[in-house]
Formats: sequence, C-alpha cells, structure tokens
Amino acid sequence: MLTDRAERISPAAYFELLMNLTKREVRGRYSQSLFGIGWAIAQPLAAMIVFTIVFSRLGRIPSGGAPYPIFAYVALVPWFFFSSSVNSGTVSLVTYRDIVTKTYFPREIVPLAQVCSRLIDFFVAAALFVLLMTYYRVGLGPWGLLAPAFFVLLILFTVGVTLFTSALNVFYRDVNPVVQIALQLWLYLTPVAYPLSAVPERFRPLFVLNPLSSIVEGFRSSIVFDRAPDWSLAATSGGLVVAVFVAAFVTFKRMDKYFADVI
Amino acid sequence: MKSPLAIQLDHVTKRYRVGRSRTLVDLISSKFDGLRGKRDEMHIEERGRIDATIWALRDVCLEVPEGTGLGIIGRNGAGKTTLLKLVSRVTWPTRGAVRVGGHVVSLIELGAGFHPELTGRENVFLGAGLFGLTRRETERRFDEIVHFADVARLIDTPMKRYSSGLYARLGFAVAIFSDPDIVLVDEVLAVGDAPFRRRAVEALGRLIAGGKTVLFISHDLWNIRRLCTDILWMEEGSVRAYGPASEIAERYMDEINLDVLANPDAAFQSSRSGTGEIRYASVELTDSAGRPTRLVPSEETLVVRATYRADRPVTRPVFQIAIVDVDTGVVVTTATSSAADMPGVVAGTGTIECRFAHPPLRPRQYVLRLLITDTRQLTPYDVLIAGPRFAVTRPRSPANTATAVNAGDIESAKDISEEDGLVFLPYEFVHCTAAVKV
Repeated sequence: MLTDRAERISPAAYFELLMNLTKREVRGRYSQSLFGIGWAIAQPLAAMIVFTIVFSRLGRIPSGGAPYPIFAYVALVPWFFFSSSVNSGTVSLVTYRDIVTKTYFPREIVPLAQVCSRLIDFFVAAALFVLLMTYYRVGLGPWGLLAPAFFVLLILFTVGVTLFTSALNVFYRDVNPVVQIALQLWLYLTPVAYPLSAVPERFRPLFVLNPLSSIVEGFRSSIVFDRAPDWSLAATSGGLVVAVFVAAFVTFKRMDKYFADVI
Repeated sequence: MKSPLAIQLDHVTKRYRVGRSRTLVDLISSKFDGLRGKRDEMHIEERGRIDATIWALRDVCLEVPEGTGLGIIGRNGAGKTTLLKLVSRVTWPTRGAVRVGGHVVSLIELGAGFHPELTGRENVFLGAGLFGLTRRETERRFDEIVHFADVARLIDTPMKRYSSGLYARLGFAVAIFSDPDIVLVDEVLAVGDAPFRRRAVEALGRLIAGGKTVLFISHDLWNIRRLCTDILWMEEGSVRAYGPASEIAERYMDEINLDVLANPDAAFQSSRSGTGEIRYASVELTDSAGRPTRLVPSEETLVVRATYRADRPVTRPVFQIAIVDVDTGVVVTTATSSAADMPGVVAGTGTIECRFAHPPLRPRQYVLRLLITDTRQLTPYDVLIAGPRFAVTRPRSPANTATAVNAGDIESAKDISEEDGLVFLPYEFVHCTAAVKV
C-alpha cells in the first residue's frame, strides 16, 4: 500500500519521543552544573527579590493585602514558564537542525519538548512557592481548586505562541530578536509586578487582549486570595487562548513541510 | 508474480531556493514594491539574488519493487541525496508525488539525534524513538542493538566519551533494528573501521534477503555491486539509467574513464566526495625511472606520485592509495599512517609518492583509489574513487624486452588476458596417489 502522506507514529511512540527529547534538553541544560535543577528556582526567586525592593518598597505598589513577595512570586512562576518556553522554543528547530534535516518525525515535538522541559522548572519553582506560603502563613482555600484550569490555559497559550514563533523563525531569523524584545516588554504589560486593579480604566481593554493577564490574575485570586476570578476576563482569554492554539498548530503543520529546505 | 512496489515517484520535481536567505525586510519590501507596482526583477537586483533556484530533481519517475537493493550513483549534485530526503519525508516535492509503502528509516547521518551528554543506553531509546519505536519495542531489541554495535562495556557511559567509530556503530545498529521496511543509506559506510563496514554491509544484505528495500548511495561501486541488484544512475536531477547493477556499473565506469581521458581536470573534480580540508591536486603514474606510464609490465616497479593542496593546516592526515580491480574489489590498500617520516602538520601543497616494488599483479585493468582521511581514518577529507586507470601487462621475458611497450592505449594492449585471480603467487601442484587398492 503506497501513500503520499507522511508516516504516522503510534501515540505511545509520539509521547515517548517527546519525553526523551525533553530529557535530552533538561540533561543538556543542567549537566556539569553544581547547582543543577536548582537553577530553575533562581530566576523567579531573583526577580521576586528585585520586584519586592523596587515595586513594593520604593514604588509602593499595592498587593491587595497579601505579602508582596508571595503576590509577585505566584505570577512570576507562570510568567517565567511562558517566557523561557517561548525563548528557547523559538530557536529550537534551528538548534535541532541536525535531526530536522536528516530524519522525519512529527516536527512539533521539538518545540513541544522545550515547553515540557520548562514545565519541570515550573514544578520545581512551584515547590518553593509552597515553602513561601508556609512561611507567610497563607493558606489554600476552596477557590484554589480553580488553579489547574488556569494552568491548562497557561500551557495551551505557551504551546501556541511557541509553535508559532518557532516555525516563523525557521524562515526569518529576525523573529528571534523580535521575540526577545517583545518578551521584555510583555512582562511589564502583564500584571505580574502589580495588580490588574491598579491599571487605569482606559488601558484595561489592552490587558484583556493579553491572555496572560487573566492567567496570572487567575493564579493569584485562586491560590493567594482564595476568591472567585474575574469570570468575564477569564472567559475572554479562554476563548483567545483556544483560538491562538488552534491557529498556531494549523500554521505550524502547513509550514513544517518546508522546514528542511530553508533551515 | 511481480512484487508490490515499495517506492513510487510520479513526475517528481524538486526546486530549492539558493542564494542568501530571506529576511523580514525582504518580505515587507517585496509586498511594498508589489503595492507600488514595481516588478519582482527590480527587487531582486536591488536586494541581491534571493529567489535564485536550483532544480535538484526534474520530472523524475521511478518505481522500486519491495525487496530491491538499489544502488544510487552519480556525480555530486546529481540529486541523489534529494531523492532520499523525499522518500524519507524530510522534504517534500515541489511538483509530483512521492508514494512510499511501509516504515522508512533513513541513515543520512549515523547517530543523528544522539546527545553527547546522555549515555549510550539513553541515546538508544532516544534514537529509536526518532525512528518511531516505543520504549517497550526498543527494550525488546536492546540486546541485539548493543551486541551488533559491540558497546556492552560502555553502554552506561555518556556518549561524549565514545570514539566516532563507536558513535557510528551505535547509530547504525539502532536504525537497522528499528524494524524498517525501507532503509535509506547515504555514504555513511565511508566512515568506521573495516570490520564495522563489513558487518554493516552484511546486515543490509540480510535485510534485502528478508524482503526489505534498501536504497544505497555510494561512490564505492564495489560495495554497491556486492549489495545491490539494481542501480539508479542520476545525472543533473534526472534518471540517466536504471537497471541491473552489473550493466549500469560497467557503463558508469566506462564513462568516468572516458571523462578522465578527455578532460582530466574536470573529471578529477566530479566523482569525488569528502570534507575538502585537504585534497589531491593531481595524480600521476610512473615507472621506476620516473617516466609517466599507463601500461606496467607485471613485477615492474610502479610509482604513484600525488600532489595535494591544503588550504588550511591539517594535522596528521593519512594518505591512502589502493589498487582496485573493478570487478572484484580492492587488491591492496596502502596508508601513510604506517610511515614514520610523515610531517605532523601539512599545509599548502606537497607531494607524496607510493612505490610498489615488483607487484606480482596479473595482467588486468586496475583503477587507483585515493583517499585522504583524518588521523583515525574516520573522516574522509578527500575521496577519489576513480583515480587513474592502468593496465598490467605480461611480465617482460628476456625474449620480449626489446619490444617497445606502446604508450598510452590501455584498451588495446595485446598482452592483457583476463585470467581469474589478481596476483601471481609461486605454486606447485602435486598429484598425490589415491590410497585405493585396485
């Protein structure tokens, strides 16, 4: 039986290949480093300390009654998951050009493995968050059960953006520097260091269009404040996230036939 | 009954964009030019040739039945590797359809996808995963893979500690045991040591015997003839010839040899591979007195003089010169690795000389094969499969020493008789009386 379609691999093989590439990525990143996986904590922790000094002490940014370090950290962990994933994901296909130009396998596994490897960082950094919660005596309430929903949104959005930028970067290498700059600005346009409530009313629509606003605010309200999220905001960004994910995946699969030719 | 097809190419054309790669600025400015009604050609002139294209394959039609060992030959740039990449789905045709039946495993590079920080064991699972195997499937084959690659001792060592030969062996083993229906091999057998190459060719032969399809690119006609029933001869992106291996190989060799005679310089460049850090610039055959010759009486000293050029300094290259019989393979290989007085670093141009003192060769036609490799003889810098051709004539007997050897024409040399066997060895037959009582 001849076919002109690409070979399909079994879902089990697909998943295991993803896990193996993730492992390869994590091992490559942390091998021969003394601190090892501990570096996963360093980034959000350092940002938390800087933010606490700059925004809370000097800038008097309100944190809605919660201790500012917790207020910032609960948003910094998802933020760094997003930004590190997009960062390394954007260049991933070019970095893996050796296997992309020499063997066939579903190409999206390469950027997906970048996201998965950052997921490990996410959980390590989240473990520190549990310690912070204990230290500041902030308890988890019933609304905390909503956190996994925002986690799913975070993953879908991160995967969508990463698929899109990684595919585009194969064709236009300018994408990477643009992404770098965009991520720096994006951090300050997302309510990570400050609450969304502190944003003047006329700028709000801009924040609604940024799904990360509702995601970090969602983590915050469910875990730190134990209260209901802003439902309309969450619904809007949920719709946006699904749209971004689907569009990115379709675009990626259309472009991936040409990766090996131009990479 | 005809066996079913494994691969079918239906009017396949593949065009590559060459020249500098596009940037966002190009994209935006071309759209902008489009709006202003400027023509594309102006854009190309202003910003450099972006849209220059090459046609790697032109309207290729090909059918390969299951169980074929297909050797693919042709010059550099003939479209051989593009063909394999299309079959493996690494790349897609610009026009036409590539239809493939079954699980394809490509060995365009051995050990592609291995990570040096991971152990051999982990890389086996990673590599097999890239070929579509699950963990359980890999576990079932693990022992065979390790046994074939002969890495049991180092399997839990990070692969950055492996020699490149070992790396290649493990890469080959993973591919071979991942249950392929179609195997694509691109020159990978140019590396590795001789025992590995032999086992690799044997393993591919077993796959073919078991009904699998193997596509095999090589400059080494000898390996192709050992392995392949058919040969596909590619030229400038088209099929030049496709048919029984022995017939096509002969036509190909004839043409290369004609090229060498007609245009030594161009032919010298065409049928060669290697990474190119250092290359042979010329090769010459002389007799013991230094006179150029193509006809050598058996047991007369034969000298191969080769000049090389290295654009950058190369540390301890190994020069190899082999005498090859076109039908049966390598007669003898010599290498400078055993020579004590070779310089440690070579740069610029230089000359090496290999003296075969009184070679007891039988009268036949031979070809010189010349290689330059790295110290460990794993990376070929220059591969010249079809070097100068020469003929060995009958030993000079006291009676015919006066006969002048007609210089040049090796085809019509009268003294060549194609006897079986390549060398003269002194021997004696004795008829031992049968111990049967009558």
